[in-house]
Amino acid sequence: MKNSLPVLIIGGGVAGISAALDIADAGRAVFLVENSPNLGGQVAKLDKLYPTDHCAFCPLWTDIKRLKEHHLITVHTSTEVKELRSIEGRLHAMIVKNPPAIDASRCVFCGKCERECSQKAIRPAGEHVYPPVCRVDLDVCNHCAACVTICPTAAINFQRAVETIELNIDHVVWASGFKEVDLTPLKEFGFGTHPDIMTSLEFEEWTAEAEINKGDIITKLNRSVPRNIAFIQCAGARDERMLPYCSAVCCMHAFKQAKWIKRRNPAIHCVIFYTDLRTVGRDYYEYSREEIGGSPIRLIRGRPSLIYPLPGGDGIAVKFENTETQKRDIWKFDMVVLNGNLRSSLEWTDQEKLDSPALTEEGFVNPKSDGMSRFSCGFSMEPSDVAESAVQAASVAAGVLIAKREG
Amino acid sequence: MSKVAVLLCRCFGEVDGVIDLDALRKKTEEDVSVAFSCVVDSLCLEVDIEKPLSLIRESGAEKVVIGSCSSLGKGDAVVETLVREGIHRSRIGLVDLREGCAWIHRDDPQGATDKALNLIRMEMGALSYRHGSDDVTIRVCPEAMIVGAGPAGLSAACALSRLGFKVHLLERGSGPGGMLNLISHVYPSDEKSGDKIKKYSEIVEKNPLVSFYSKVKILSVKGFAGDFKVHISSSEGEKKLRVGAVILASGARVWLPYGLYRYGKLKHVITQMEMERQFLREPVPIKKAVFIQCVGARNKDRPYCATICCPSSLKNAARIKDENPDARVFILHRDIMTPGSVLEAYYRKALAKGVQFIRFEETNPPEILGDEHVEGVEVFDVINGRKRMLDCDLVVLSTPLVPNDDNAKLADMLGVERDRYGFFSEIYPLHPLETRMDGVFICGSARWPVSSDQAIMQGEGAAVKAAALLGKDAVSALSLSRVPGEKFGHASVNAEACTGCGNCAAVCPFEACRLQKMGGRSVSRVNKMRCKACGNCVSVCPNGAIQLPEHDYRAVGAMIKKAFAEETIS
Repeated sequence: MKNSLPVLIIGGGVAGISAALDIADAGRAVFLVENSPNLGGQVAKLDKLYPTDHCAFCPLWTDIKRLKEHHLITVHTSTEVKELRSIEGRLHAMIVKNPPAIDASRCVFCGKCERECSQKAIRPAGEHVYPPVCRVDLDVCNHCAACVTICPTAAINFQRAVETIELNIDHVVWASGFKEVDLTPLKEFGFGTHPDIMTSLEFEEWTAEAEINKGDIITKLNRSVPRNIAFIQCAGARDERMLPYCSAVCCMHAFKQAKWIKRRNPAIHCVIFYTDLRTVGRDYYEYSREEIGGSPIRLIRGRPSLIYPLPGGDGIAVKFENTETQKRDIWKFDMVVLNGNLRSSLEWTDQEKLDSPALTEEGFVNPKSDGMSRFSCGFSMEPSDVAESAVQAASVAAGVLIAKREG
Repeated sequence: MSKVAVLLCRCFGEVDGVIDLDALRKKTEEDVSVAFSCVVDSLCLEVDIEKPLSLIRESGAEKVVIGSCSSLGKGDAVVETLVREGIHRSRIGLVDLREGCAWIHRDDPQGATDKALNLIRMEMGALSYRHGSDDVTIRVCPEAMIVGAGPAGLSAACALSRLGFKVHLLERGSGPGGMLNLISHVYPSDEKSGDKIKKYSEIVEKNPLVSFYSKVKILSVKGFAGDFKVHISSSEGEKKLRVGAVILASGARVWLPYGLYRYGKLKHVITQMEMERQFLREPVPIKKAVFIQCVGARNKDRPYCATICCPSSLKNAARIKDENPDARVFILHRDIMTPGSVLEAYYRKALAKGVQFIRFEETNPPEILGDEHVEGVEVFDVINGRKRMLDCDLVVLSTPLVPNDDNAKLADMLGVERDRYGFFSEIYPLHPLETRMDGVFICGSARWPVSSDQAIMQGEGAAVKAAALLGKDAVSALSLSRVPGEKFGHASVNAEACTGCGNCAAVCPFEACRLQKMGGRSVSRVNKMRCKACGNCVSVCPNGAIQLPEHDYRAVGAMIKKAFAEETIS
């Protein structure tokens, strides 16, 4: 029977996980496919979430745990959708599973491989990965196999077979999240010219409590404490040359990062260069106004015209006009965080063998489309934050369940 | 006395490289309550758990203490394995000997071993008083009550009925549509609001599963997830309903800007809603209009952005330009709030139509000129640093949505929380439609100001959440826990020790504790379906009559006693 076929959910971030749980809780089978080795998507990489300022782990962990234990949900990580075709009104998918070298079900996270690896290719998979597991960076690995020998549980194998699974499904939900766009083409941002000009996701990882710097705010160039940090909003976004739309999450993300910098080191000055401060959710506006201590977070309306490294590693120059005072200036910063270059990752899907979903010009699944493009949530649908993604996921689940019931 | 099995995991040297597990095993075996103690390579691997499992079966040990990695490592998985073997969760204790002991005390093996012994004894002490409580199962009433028939409520009703559930749709007014009745078109689709209402209300009307009640007042709500008893009065008189789930979609109201910009005093200073009303009637061509944003919002009294005001102004400003391309239309704003792709495109569309935008500062708001009618607006344009005189004959004030006055009463009746502004609040951003009360869901502007499209989406979402509960024949109190296996008990009262002081009932956030007459005196009783095992009641009970089975006060006492035991291994 057609309506008893499983639903395929592409993407294991907040949107995909929420949609999977909502559909399965109503008694329908779900296949969830995630191309990275772990669940949680971008949120799992975040040190903190706005506006609660809590770490993302607990709520994600409870949902991921429920997802893994749900009898109606089959999860495939490290898996990509290679083929997706609509044949006589039926959807047929071919997914390819390319398991990582370290088997998460056998890894006991003892850290022996990490200590043994001469190339430093092995590291914990991520701060919010559950269960904790180590991961091999194959770009750095020289295949000496020392880790294979030392692993007490035989969890490491570099010759794991690629598995191909064919699925008959009746609906597909696009929830593949976002990716960063390379900002190098927009020369004025100076991306790539200085190690301390980084994107906000890089900065998040660099300063995360559970990552290498354990929450310390230091520069990449010489690991010193920066005197000041500039946040450049709408970098690549609301910009006809790259992304015409607003990425929706960046204003709040910048406030979150600036506030955490202040909490950890009130002596560091933070300046946010913005176009419009978009704080539309519950508590967002007050979150953005809250004072942390030390000098207040300075807000300057204006998009810098040029960002460039000063000679001799003497900081980064930011040339700008404060559009509220019409004054032009050049300020020196130790770090620059670029915010806004987020794009639906659907663009990057291998579309050769994929009956691809109908996308808008801006790369989102077209809400007016039908067929296999009917259901999408999270950043695949519209730039959205955690709460919005979860709402969209629940609404998509309603659509899927109604479609199944009404045939 | 029930015997305890102690399972110690080497974790391939990660634990026993620091902690002397053999000494620990011998020491624990000295305890008379220990059936056996054993050391294995890795409890999380199938081959290694077999031996201890058969030892447990042979020895008749009823409780197990696991000394391994933390619960976030593989500890959780080991516990699950034992649960699958039929050992109740309350009889399993997990001691973190790896991350919390061996790893952080690598340089002090002796100290680590002593600490490990203490931790194991603490857990054994706790286990001797820890127990689960009986679960309770109720039949689920497969019907839902939806409060409010605006876009959120209508779409929820539509989705739930299409999923096959009976819906009671309650509306305080006389017909469906809510705030959609007050506006002409919706953004960003520019669809007619009337068409939108019709689309949903037709489905709702046609579906025999939906009962619509108008002029509704909710008199009382009792019960719990799966079985709420609701008493309402409606245009058809009083009625009692039994429903399994409640969806709160009661919307919000528009704040009126009396006292600001001479609203109510000067003709042609109107609110966005009055502009909508004009458009609903015969639209009069407008020649010169100024929209002012953030009127009464993002200030000290209402420190929030109400989400819908900027797009609404864009919609109406563009509409004026559509009807009269020669019209001069200005939007005076503090930030244009159009996050995302669709709304940003909507903003660009208004720009392309010739709507002009001027940014002002909160501290320097625009001023309306004219004594009897609007003659113009004076505003300091921060972008070009000059005062500007805008010739206009109509000023439209964009005011925020504020919570309905009866939100407090509804929240109290249903046990849901309100945020600091008075809107209903969710349990966590990751679960934005769920409240702290199981079986009660929130959507639309009752939750937080949203556009009609967003409200519809949230309504559908809330419907799905409700459907998950309504689709079950029966539900047990423990299964309501959001984390499987995390909760294995509810508060329970020792009726003999209870003096009926009522402290517990006063502090219970879920209204699970209630005083009941029993044998001529008052005794506290816990409704297991409502209890979340938060422990508030335990902390205020003056004589220990109310307890959480997984955290019996004697268990905590035993842990403290063992924690400070002088004895060491050496």
